[in-house]
Amino acid sequence: MPTLTIDNRTVTVAEGASVLDAAVELGIVVPHYCYHQALGAVGACRQCAVTILEGSQKGLKMSCLVTAEDGMQVSTCDEESRSFRAQVGEWLMTNHPHDCPVCDEGGECQLQEMTIGSGHGIRRYRGNKRTHTNQDLGPFITQEMNRCIQCYRCVRAYKDYCGGEDFGVMGSRQRVFFGRFKEGPLESDFSGNLIDFCPTGVFTDKTSRFKTRYWDLQQAPSICPHCSLGCATLPGGRYQQLQRVRSGSNRLTNDSFICDRARFGSDWANHPQRPREARIDGEKAEFSVVLSQLEERLQSLVDTYGGETLRLLGSPRASFEANLLLKKLAVRFGAPTPCYDAHPRRAFAARAAGSIPSGQLASLQQLRASDLVLVAGVDPLAEAPVLALALRQVVRAGGRVVVLDPRPVELPCEFEHHSLTQEALLRGLSAPEENELLESLRQQLEAAHHPVLVGGGDLLGGAGLLLLRRFSESCCGDSDCLIFPVLHGPNSYGGGLLEEPGERQRDLLEDLENGKVRALICLEADPAIEHPDPGRMQLALARLDLLAVFDHLPTHSVAAANIFLPTRTLFECGGTYVNNEGRMQAFAPVIEPGIPLEVSGGGGHPLRQFDSGVPGSAPHSAIHLLQQLLKDRQDLFGLRRQIVEEIPCLRDLDRLEAGDSGRRMADCGESLEESRLEIWAQEGELRLLPVMARYGGDQYSRLSQPLASRLQQPCLWIHPLEAAERGFGEGQRVVLRTAVGHFRLSLSCKEKMVRGRVMLPCLPGTPLEVFTPGGLSIPCQLYAEDDNA
Amino acid sequence: MNSTPQLLFKNRVAGQTIFFKDYCKTGGYQALTKALKTMSPTEIVDVVKASGLRGRGGAGFSTGLKWSFFPADAPRPKYLVCNCDEMEPGTYKDGELLAADPHQLIEGMVLSAYALNADVGYIFIRYAYDQQLRNLQQAVAEAKKAGYLGKNILGSGFDFELHLHGSAGRYILGEETALLNGLEGKRPNPRLKPPFPAVRGLFGRPTTVNNVETIANIPHIINGGAEWFKDLARNPEGAGTKLFGLSGHLNCTECFELPVGIPLGELIEDYGGGVWKKRKFKACLPGGASTPYLTAEHLDIALDFDPLAKVGSRFGTAGVTVFDDHSCMLRATLNLLQFFARESCGWCTPCRDGLPLVCWLLEKIEKGEGTNEDLEMLKQQQQQITGRSFCALAEGAMGPLDGLLRLFEQEVIDHIQKGECPF
Repeated sequence: MPTLTIDNRTVTVAEGASVLDAAVELGIVVPHYCYHQALGAVGACRQCAVTILEGSQKGLKMSCLVTAEDGMQVSTCDEESRSFRAQVGEWLMTNHPHDCPVCDEGGECQLQEMTIGSGHGIRRYRGNKRTHTNQDLGPFITQEMNRCIQCYRCVRAYKDYCGGEDFGVMGSRQRVFFGRFKEGPLESDFSGNLIDFCPTGVFTDKTSRFKTRYWDLQQAPSICPHCSLGCATLPGGRYQQLQRVRSGSNRLTNDSFICDRARFGSDWANHPQRPREARIDGEKAEFSVVLSQLEERLQSLVDTYGGETLRLLGSPRASFEANLLLKKLAVRFGAPTPCYDAHPRRAFAARAAGSIPSGQLASLQQLRASDLVLVAGVDPLAEAPVLALALRQVVRAGGRVVVLDPRPVELPCEFEHHSLTQEALLRGLSAPEENELLESLRQQLEAAHHPVLVGGGDLLGGAGLLLLRRFSESCCGDSDCLIFPVLHGPNSYGGGLLEEPGERQRDLLEDLENGKVRALICLEADPAIEHPDPGRMQLALARLDLLAVFDHLPTHSVAAANIFLPTRTLFECGGTYVNNEGRMQAFAPVIEPGIPLEVSGGGGHPLRQFDSGVPGSAPHSAIHLLQQLLKDRQDLFGLRRQIVEEIPCLRDLDRLEAGDSGRRMADCGESLEESRLEIWAQEGELRLLPVMARYGGDQYSRLSQPLASRLQQPCLWIHPLEAAERGFGEGQRVVLRTAVGHFRLSLSCKEKMVRGRVMLPCLPGTPLEVFTPGGLSIPCQLYAEDDNA
Repeated sequence: MNSTPQLLFKNRVAGQTIFFKDYCKTGGYQALTKALKTMSPTEIVDVVKASGLRGRGGAGFSTGLKWSFFPADAPRPKYLVCNCDEMEPGTYKDGELLAADPHQLIEGMVLSAYALNADVGYIFIRYAYDQQLRNLQQAVAEAKKAGYLGKNILGSGFDFELHLHGSAGRYILGEETALLNGLEGKRPNPRLKPPFPAVRGLFGRPTTVNNVETIANIPHIINGGAEWFKDLARNPEGAGTKLFGLSGHLNCTECFELPVGIPLGELIEDYGGGVWKKRKFKACLPGGASTPYLTAEHLDIALDFDPLAKVGSRFGTAGVTVFDDHSCMLRATLNLLQFFARESCGWCTPCRDGLPLVCWLLEKIEKGEGTNEDLEMLKQQQQQITGRSFCALAEGAMGPLDGLLRLFEQEVIDHIQKGECPF
């Protein structure tokens, strides 16, 4: 740990840290562009020059390239480095337009800040500026190349870090161009990171351009709700409208990168059909009236028929606190412990993940540092996109990635794909010593320095995750083989912890169908399509005396509810999610709840008149709503402290702050014994596996307008040889017959997928929503569309 | 006049290329045979070190010393790369050499690779050197057929595979790490050093990059011995002969092989035939476009690395470009700077944005629109760019600017005061 002095101030930094890192540590501003914490130093911009007075190298040096040494003396104030930094500022500004007032980056522009930091003020160059023709890069990103200062961060982020192949550097000298070879939409699933990494206004967010000036923007640290990884985000909005999402920074999870689904998939919070008013039997009513009516009806139901007739359903979408309060509500009414996922197999997968001791779980940071990762049953780009980025970093550092999955998995890096069916994978895991492939992989994992096993809850189920845990223990050589479970919702893990211990898989539907249940409360859950058998579930829901739903999405269950109470989105209230590795992370409110205010001038100018439709009572947060039912008046902090007192393993919950790196929970999951596998007899030669779609597979991305052009179109994946055997080809219209109905679809041939299966990307909001991922394959038949007619 | 021993140009006949048969007639491949049969790799490195041979690509680093840093015992593959991306204005000696006698380079490559224990070689050839590439293709085929290239060369157990690679054509590819990126099919930006190519070079493996003329000298050193080679020079600290490529305002602009250390005046008068049109000598670039000017006061100077460094210039590639007394040095400097600004790869700021700013200032002054502030700014630019760019390109571009400001400042002031170019 070297101790060095910069401008007469002393600091001790980690071994290998640069002089620039040390200056940052001291709060000394050394302007820089090409250096980025996540991308490293390349020494291109020359802006971070300092003078080394004492050290193994002396004189003017680039602080990003010089490793801090013990006893080093550094100056940033001397004339030599000061005047050079100002000169670099002048060089960079020779071609940059002087139009900050009309640039969307204005106010949050690193170039603005660091040009001032460099000391350059007056431009002496009076010649022509170099200009470029901009490209249309698709629906997400606007390019304005004239602003470019050639720091190369875009290409290093897009191409090197994220593995995008359709963006690069072209030309040379002062005419260097950063873009696509030909105009067109950016193909990477991580293209939005260009916005965060560009230090100036070359790449700006097309979906939020010119909506709000940075200084008027309301921002707060948050957690992405799109998958179970819990990436740090920084959403921003104004006038009760969520306008944009930037990546937050958490080195333990997503570092500084998020996927496009997270960045451009938050418009659901502004959805025009978002239910914002309380309703009784479809009729709008005042919140307090609906709430007291709900209480009365619940009380009388419980008084008449007993608490056993009431069921509660929490969800992986709801905050940990709200889910926990739901459990308290069940206690208050004498009802059984709530379910925390309408999908019994997914719920059990979450419980299984929670049962893995905390010390055996890998963080994304640990995964990035691994030298051998075995991915069992995960399609990262669909189920947890930032995991794909982490896998790329493994490969970039010289490590290997091996994927065992039936799907045509794609990754932005080189990897080995062993395509095998779900059943074969599970059978292999149940007796890995008898499986040649797994035995060879086990030996390789044992020999690796930092092996990690990634397991998909959806494909493997809880039983599979338990088998994976046993397999990991057999792979521990000199170092432990860690596990990285992938679940399906932002709080799946948290829900799993709250489930009733003991019973293996509880199916809410069975309880509903046996007629004993008269009322169901759904907390931000939509059992009508989240259950693997939505048809039966919808019938069962219709038979209830009382269906109460608290939600903020326009779902089937909301439409069917007898009593509906709107809730706030995560952007409008505080709360906690527990991610896939048991990391509790807090999110903070960003904007006010309520209908987004439209600025309208009625055709006049300036636009200074607000729309007259100012909303009435704003929704309450689910936490607050449940607290009202529980007569609990604590604030969120008090609530968290109470939870910590009651559940000791959550001891760090009350120390969380939004924007911090989160805290791993101590072990408190139940210990689950391995059990007999759910391997079933395979009937029929062709079986259907419903899988997660990359875009549009979750409620959030389906309801977000900017993602419309990216949404997966209905289709059926088939191995080309499987198709050829049946006389089918790519794009062929076929009829898919299953127990839940007939569907007309076109075939999409995928060479890398397993044979003997067809796969359906699940799409809520379309007729295909009767299929849910997370289950086992089902029998099906395929016909050419004409034959059937 | 031509009493100088001819090594590299010994087989040179105007308008002809010497191939295998004729090359062997004058002792070709004898050095290789001798070395493989009687010398160990370390002995070769020692001889080259003792010969005083300094890199002919411009930097002038001792070749033997450079080789001694090479991890010869590291596992294979290890690469020897020959830099034939001769793109500096005023420099054309490697082109002449390969047009005349390509087998020298092949023999030199095999010898050097044997000395370094490198198993794969690449010759990276300038885009415009189409004929030279074809000459080398034929030479490689002949050498392979004769058993001087490939597996188990001359039964010594030494294997060497040689590839030719035509450049796509940018000046930056002459920078050794940019050249390695180019060879790998990447964008030719220079690489961060360390790690140096000897540690992690081509495809991440130990690599040595040497100039054509440097490598072509190796067979002669092996044949004649270190003492003999060293004594070829005219000055005591020098070693060997050098290909001098003359250009500019001379009566004769050709390439000559002459002893290192020949005085500038002798070169111009005896070989260049004197300044053309009976005009007077004003200045010259002694070693290519990136070397600061010499003036009439330097006519007695011995042309070699150390003497030229003492007067603030560089020996560079010994491509001597002469300017007569009718030349505007500001105009000449602007022309050179425009070349460097155009050839910047665009990686670092001082080069990419600094050089165009210098061009803008020079252009402004040349047009008679300059001010004293512009001259001050020009001096600042020269100080701020020198030594602070990522690679040596911008550093080299500052050579002529440094010469202009040091030796011809009055000429620049005249432009400003007269409001027009005085020439």
